Amino acid sequence: MKNNKKILWSLLVAFPMLFSIAGCKKFLDRKPLTATLDDLNQGALEGQVLGMYNILRSYGGFSTLPWIDFHSIRDDDAQKGSDASDGKEVVTEFDAFNYSKDDWAPNTYWNDHYAMINAANTALYTADSLKVTDDASLRNVGEALFFRAYAYWELVKTYGEVPLINFRIVNPTDGIKDKSPLPTLYAFIDSNLQAATLLLPLNSDAYGNGYDGRVTKGAANTVWAETYLFRQNWARVVAICNEIIASGEYQLNADFSDNWREWKNSIPGAGKNSPESIFEMQATVGANAVNNSSLYNGSDFGTSQQVRQNGAPVSWNLGWGWNAPTQSLVDAFAANDPRKERTILFSGQSDGGPALGGFGATVPAYTNPDGTGGLAQKYWNKKLYTGNDPAMRTYTGYINQSGSAGWINHRIYRYAEVILMLAEAANELGDGVTAAANLELIRNRASGNLGPTRTIVPPIAFVDKAQMRTAIKNERHYELAMEGKRFYDLVRWGDANSVLGPLGYTNRARYYPIPQQAIDLSGGVLKQNPEW
Amino acid sequence: MKVIDLQLNVRGNSKLHQILRVMKFTILLLLIGSMHVYADGFSQSKISLRLQQADLKRALILIEKQSNVRFLYNQNVLKNVGKVSVEANNEALVKVLNDLLEGTGISYKILEDDLVVLNFDDEFFAPADLKVTGTVKDSSGNPIPGASVVVKGTKNGTSTDANGSYTITVADDATLVFSGIGFATIEEKVSGRASVSPTLAASERKLDEVVVIGYGTASKRDLTGSIVKIAGKDVADKPNTNPIASLQGKVAGLSVVNSGTPGQSPDIRIRGTVSIGAVKPLYVVDGIFNDNIDYINPNDIESIEILKDPSSLAIFGVRGATGVIAITTKRAKAGQTTVNFNTNFGFKKLVDKIKLADAEQFKTLFAEERSYFDPPVLDPFDYTGLTANTDWIDAVTRTGKFSTSNLSVSTSSEKNRFNFGVGYQYDEGIIRHEKLEKWLMSISDEFRISKAVRMGVNVNVSRQNNPYDATWVLDAARKVIPQISAGTQQFRVRNPYGTDSIDMDLYSGLDVGLQSAGVVNPLIQLENEWDKRRSFELRTVGSVFGELTFLKNFTLRSTLYADVSNINTRQYTPLYYAYNPKNNEPYLYSQTTRLREEDNTYRKFQQDHVLNYKRSFGDHNFTGTAGFTTYYFGNFNRIGNASQATGATGLPIPDDPRFWYINSGFQDPSNTASTGSQSEYTTVSFLGRVLYNFQNKYYLNASFRDDASSRLPELNRHQQFWAVGAAWDISKENFMQTQQVFDFLKIKASIGLLGNQTASRLDGTPLNYPFYPNLNTGTNAVFGTNVYSAADPEYIPNPDLKWETVFAKEIGFEANAFKNRLHVEANYFNRETRDLMTYVDRSALGLKNKLVNGGSIRNTGQEISASWDQKFSRDFSLNIGGNITFLQNKVLNLSSDLPTGILQRRFQNNGSAESRTTAGYPIGVFYGYVVEGIYQSYADILKSPSAAAIGSYRPGDFKFKDVNGDGVVSADDRTVIGNPTPDFTYGTSINLTYKGFNLGVDMLGVYGNEIFRTWGSLESPFQRVNYSGDKIDRWNGEGTSNWVPILGQGDRINYNGSSYNIEDGSFFRIRNVQLGYSFSQAMLSKIKVKSLRLFVNVQNLKTFKNNYGYTAEYGGDATAFGYDNAGGALPMVSTAGLNITF
Repeated sequence: MKNNKKILWSLLVAFPMLFSIAGCKKFLDRKPLTATLDDLNQGALEGQVLGMYNILRSYGGFSTLPWIDFHSIRDDDAQKGSDASDGKEVVTEFDAFNYSKDDWAPNTYWNDHYAMINAANTALYTADSLKVTDDASLRNVGEALFFRAYAYWELVKTYGEVPLINFRIVNPTDGIKDKSPLPTLYAFIDSNLQAATLLLPLNSDAYGNGYDGRVTKGAANTVWAETYLFRQNWARVVAICNEIIASGEYQLNADFSDNWREWKNSIPGAGKNSPESIFEMQATVGANAVNNSSLYNGSDFGTSQQVRQNGAPVSWNLGWGWNAPTQSLVDAFAANDPRKERTILFSGQSDGGPALGGFGATVPAYTNPDGTGGLAQKYWNKKLYTGNDPAMRTYTGYINQSGSAGWINHRIYRYAEVILMLAEAANELGDGVTAAANLELIRNRASGNLGPTRTIVPPIAFVDKAQMRTAIKNERHYELAMEGKRFYDLVRWGDANSVLGPLGYTNRARYYPIPQQAIDLSGGVLKQNPEW
Repeated sequence: MKVIDLQLNVRGNSKLHQILRVMKFTILLLLIGSMHVYADGFSQSKISLRLQQADLKRALILIEKQSNVRFLYNQNVLKNVGKVSVEANNEALVKVLNDLLEGTGISYKILEDDLVVLNFDDEFFAPADLKVTGTVKDSSGNPIPGASVVVKGTKNGTSTDANGSYTITVADDATLVFSGIGFATIEEKVSGRASVSPTLAASERKLDEVVVIGYGTASKRDLTGSIVKIAGKDVADKPNTNPIASLQGKVAGLSVVNSGTPGQSPDIRIRGTVSIGAVKPLYVVDGIFNDNIDYINPNDIESIEILKDPSSLAIFGVRGATGVIAITTKRAKAGQTTVNFNTNFGFKKLVDKIKLADAEQFKTLFAEERSYFDPPVLDPFDYTGLTANTDWIDAVTRTGKFSTSNLSVSTSSEKNRFNFGVGYQYDEGIIRHEKLEKWLMSISDEFRISKAVRMGVNVNVSRQNNPYDATWVLDAARKVIPQISAGTQQFRVRNPYGTDSIDMDLYSGLDVGLQSAGVVNPLIQLENEWDKRRSFELRTVGSVFGELTFLKNFTLRSTLYADVSNINTRQYTPLYYAYNPKNNEPYLYSQTTRLREEDNTYRKFQQDHVLNYKRSFGDHNFTGTAGFTTYYFGNFNRIGNASQATGATGLPIPDDPRFWYINSGFQDPSNTASTGSQSEYTTVSFLGRVLYNFQNKYYLNASFRDDASSRLPELNRHQQFWAVGAAWDISKENFMQTQQVFDFLKIKASIGLLGNQTASRLDGTPLNYPFYPNLNTGTNAVFGTNVYSAADPEYIPNPDLKWETVFAKEIGFEANAFKNRLHVEANYFNRETRDLMTYVDRSALGLKNKLVNGGSIRNTGQEISASWDQKFSRDFSLNIGGNITFLQNKVLNLSSDLPTGILQRRFQNNGSAESRTTAGYPIGVFYGYVVEGIYQSYADILKSPSAAAIGSYRPGDFKFKDVNGDGVVSADDRTVIGNPTPDFTYGTSINLTYKGFNLGVDMLGVYGNEIFRTWGSLESPFQRVNYSGDKIDRWNGEGTSNWVPILGQGDRINYNGSSYNIEDGSFFRIRNVQLGYSFSQAMLSKIKVKSLRLFVNVQNLKTFKNNYGYTAEYGGDATAFGYDNAGGALPMVSTAGLNITF
């Protein structure tokens, strides 16, 4: 009994010892069982920059409905689309210019742009504190500068004056600022883009293999040229456009429709980033990704603009059917302009087959605005019709599936636009020859490269500045229709009142009101746009 | 040596007489020594004695001369005793003897007839075993079955049989402690009696109730805090698989918001919402810390204690702030073997259905809405194929079945106590196919190895078949228009798994032209997929302990705990058809077979080492506790997805559970992906506690705990928590002895600092490594078809982060009055949460989120509970109880890092349903516009303040109030429109017993809170959903309604959150009615049954409420709760059962 007691005694004393002897510190030192920023090299500068591409692809303010609302649906070429009962508020807000201060799309648009700016600020802060000097890191700096400038440029176009946040925000209250005046904002955009053009490579090959479509000097220059175009600083537009052209990195695709192909030579995704492409939002959906979210790296940009099924067979369940062409756009095209059938998909008609950017299918007929027994829209955005590519649908597994087409890249800037900017600026500077020559490049390609003697999309000779200006305006209208340029063009040309007035546009609609949420969050420091 | 007549009171033991006859003196001594004596005469004797360096023997003789006492001893005992000195002047004999024998190694014992036995300390009185029998009866003379009979100071015991009889072998000087549920505990000294038959008085209330406190138990009398104890039997026979659900309305200060989904835990808050992060209490089951108690069989519960006040909670350190629910599971009662079987069976029925438009009403309303389109659509909508008139709520609901059965066996001996239980629960939801099945097993065994050493093991195992997740179905069902048929129709279709054609009964799809995004016929998926899920949870919770008693007053107890669980889920998506109601054509609704396999493992390990010191020094009673404890929590999840191969060789994964694995041979290897998540944390803590009282009148409790947590970086790792409490039992004071009203009156107060281990996002999802933000997953950059992961931390960490603390105060009293019939307990509390761990969501500014400390919340409240017990006659008794809790919650301030000091939670389309947490208001108040009415006409619009700043509007739209009076209605006119926290909650229960019958009625209610209804008003305008019933009374022309607006998804102004969505959340519910019958002992003893009870029970018999939803109870998280999202139907449950003990 005494012995037993001794054993038990020692056991009980040993009991706690056994488990506490391992040491508290080690027991308490627990780091996440997944990687954190600290575990990545170089303060994860590369990773942070890649995050900006993610924002561009997956944040609604850059690539899906909110972007389309602001850039396309509120012009005269496009309308909400979809069917009568879907998203009615967008008709009110964007088709009829009753801008809302507190709605999902406008709030998202604002927030997402500041998310991009903040991501860029943080990456630039990281780069600065690490004093990076290697080429790869400097390219990262260039990318961050580009994205920051791009986001600000979008905000300035949309809201006019906005708060300028050009530093990494540590304390949340640091972010509370009122609007900065336009010259300050432009100066900031200029300095960012100038630095970006110095740091970014001429083409994406410099980043290594497998980085097709990564931001280049050409992209930074194109955005920069556009900012000067809006400021009517024609000389700078000409200079920058010439630099882009002289780089030799870009050329017009022979076929207008090639700009929007996703599938080429039996290779999925090979149609993206064509020689004419300058800056694209990149999306991809892997083989049979339909049930596997990790293979889905797509975007709703494509999905939102595909044909909406409504009462049609399930094989036409391609997407949400937003951003549909208006009758006015259909009527605007010259009847024989080949771009018409490559820009507009007609309900109840053949899609025209591969020659016209189609796949040989016949689109179900339009029935009524509810789409009962058929489709709810007469016209669809054919530049995005690539979402019905049977090869892509088979490859991705999105056949007859929940209306998705996430693999489509958003072509943000293409070389044709550089040529048209050059033409416009040259004309304004009185250089009619250059203007006409560049206009002709676009028109000849539009005709199918039929040469100077053609009758369709015929050459336009320079007569005077006003005539050439009208011709270039029209050309931008046809060439870039449904691509999200038109509303801002009309505003900067001063044509918005005459063109959009009948739709409800008034002068104050050139700028969108700042979201109420942002004003609430700033505690009233941020002031609403004066006319709102 | 005097000759002593040994014809003592040796009662009824013939063996003893035999021995007596042959005894030697030592045996005689021992025998006599073991008989207890009433020593009245002895103690009254006064002695005067003065001796210097005298023989002890002489001293004894002198004492004998002065009194009636006679000493008995062996000469050996006095042989080695030195000289003694004593000086006494008319002093009590006891004192004189004590002085005399001090330091001699000799003790004395007083027997009957003023005999005093002397012997060596260590040999003193090895007690003889005595077989004691008896019958325990109540004051009316009825036997009490199941009463516990325990030898005081030991674990040795038994319980009475059906006739109230017991037999126990004890030392003949032992004291027996008799207790029974509902009776006051009494002690009887055996004093050699072979028969002890006490009478137990009806319970003298919860004065001497033993309650579970952290790291030990204590008599409630010794505590200064507020602990409420609920007996296990109160939850065992209620039809809830989660025992906490049965506590609703029973405990002041405990808020329980139940859910109707089988197996789902209720939303529990103790003394208010103390945090903007975690609000769940800590569960402590037999010592192990847990965040849920899903593995506990309600039938295995001995008691549930709710710990609410600082002096009870500080010992739980960083986990104490949200309150503690301590659960003690059953242990074998001392004595004989008991077998208990109980079972019940019942039905669940949906009672408060929501109202929706029927087919005719939908047609009318939709036509009207179309006429408001811009331009108006006047053609009638084409209802071809849409001819049904379905009540969709009826179509997806049913009468659910409920059943539980439990068998337990317990047996104990002096050395071993063993308890074993098995249980089975079957719980169907009211939604079709919703079904939870659970098997539970528990084993506990406790060995008494020696007087000083005890060891034990305790194992709980549960296996659960998780139900198909049908929580989405009710919401989906109410959205479908009634024109869609809920029935099936036969079609000849191609076999989706083959090439042949087969006949199949198909459910109707929707008219995709009318209803698509976000609206589905829930029956298609439910009926085709409910049985394609295999989800098993196996959880084992166990502990082993060793306990050592040493140096008389010390107890060291070491316990090791483990809680290991695994949930394996396999979900198969089959191929199935639906038909298009418009053209009556079948189409493949689910087109690809898929398989998802998930493995979730939890590992929790805990060790406690607790040293207890208990001692009384005269009037001072002291219990000290010191302990060391560590905790480890790990969660490891793996998820895999596979789908069938495509192309010519691809076959569907067969609809056969044999192949429902990631690697089934049918999967597409290039499209099989796996992912996972994992986290762990640890804490190391030291704790201490002192319970002290003076004369059982003045009480002082103090506790302390130091926690170190792996969740914080080294610098801030340690944090200390403490509490001090004091109480005064006034009824023990002399001046109270003359009054007749109060039997007991205690006032108490405590104060302390508690911790909240909150590190969570605003929605309550935990941040396991607050200092190391996650990299957001799924943030990828794409270049061409290449995908690269981006590094995007979720928020900015804060190097100065620390835990939030709750500074809590309580003051209260407990009283018994009117012969203990009335019991009243009242408390006032004040809890101030400081350094709120705030997840600053700045996405609306486009900024990275941040985690900081800042801000404070105050919860103050008053709790009153009272009960009245009365026994009117032998057959009839009554118990009425009630409790009420008033609660005031106020946000004092919030982190200055919040741009405007507001925490916003926004839901529904574009966040129009908003909960705000703002300084100066209660937590999570609803925020929006105030509806003054409806614009009746354009004239009305013209004479009202302009609301153009909000959007366009027309007659029929809401007229929002110009709250700030600036002449226009704008965003600035949004204001607080409701508070989800009730002003007070209350509960009451009545129990009547008449002979064998027992009737119990529980009622409860809440008052003064609001509900935010999001359905029927704030759906996404992207969806076409069926109209809610109140739309029948919509505005459709001047003067038609001043509350329900014009129909129309384009009238976006009506989609702003407003007082239109706010409903009164007050309700009163008849929670439980139970009628039982216990068969009489006389009858049962013939069939060898100890007890048999039959009962019928109805839960949620009737709820009186003022809102549109299924229920008036809606939980949520800390900063957003009280939302009615068209779910939460709480069924009425009717059960009948029996409980039999052998």
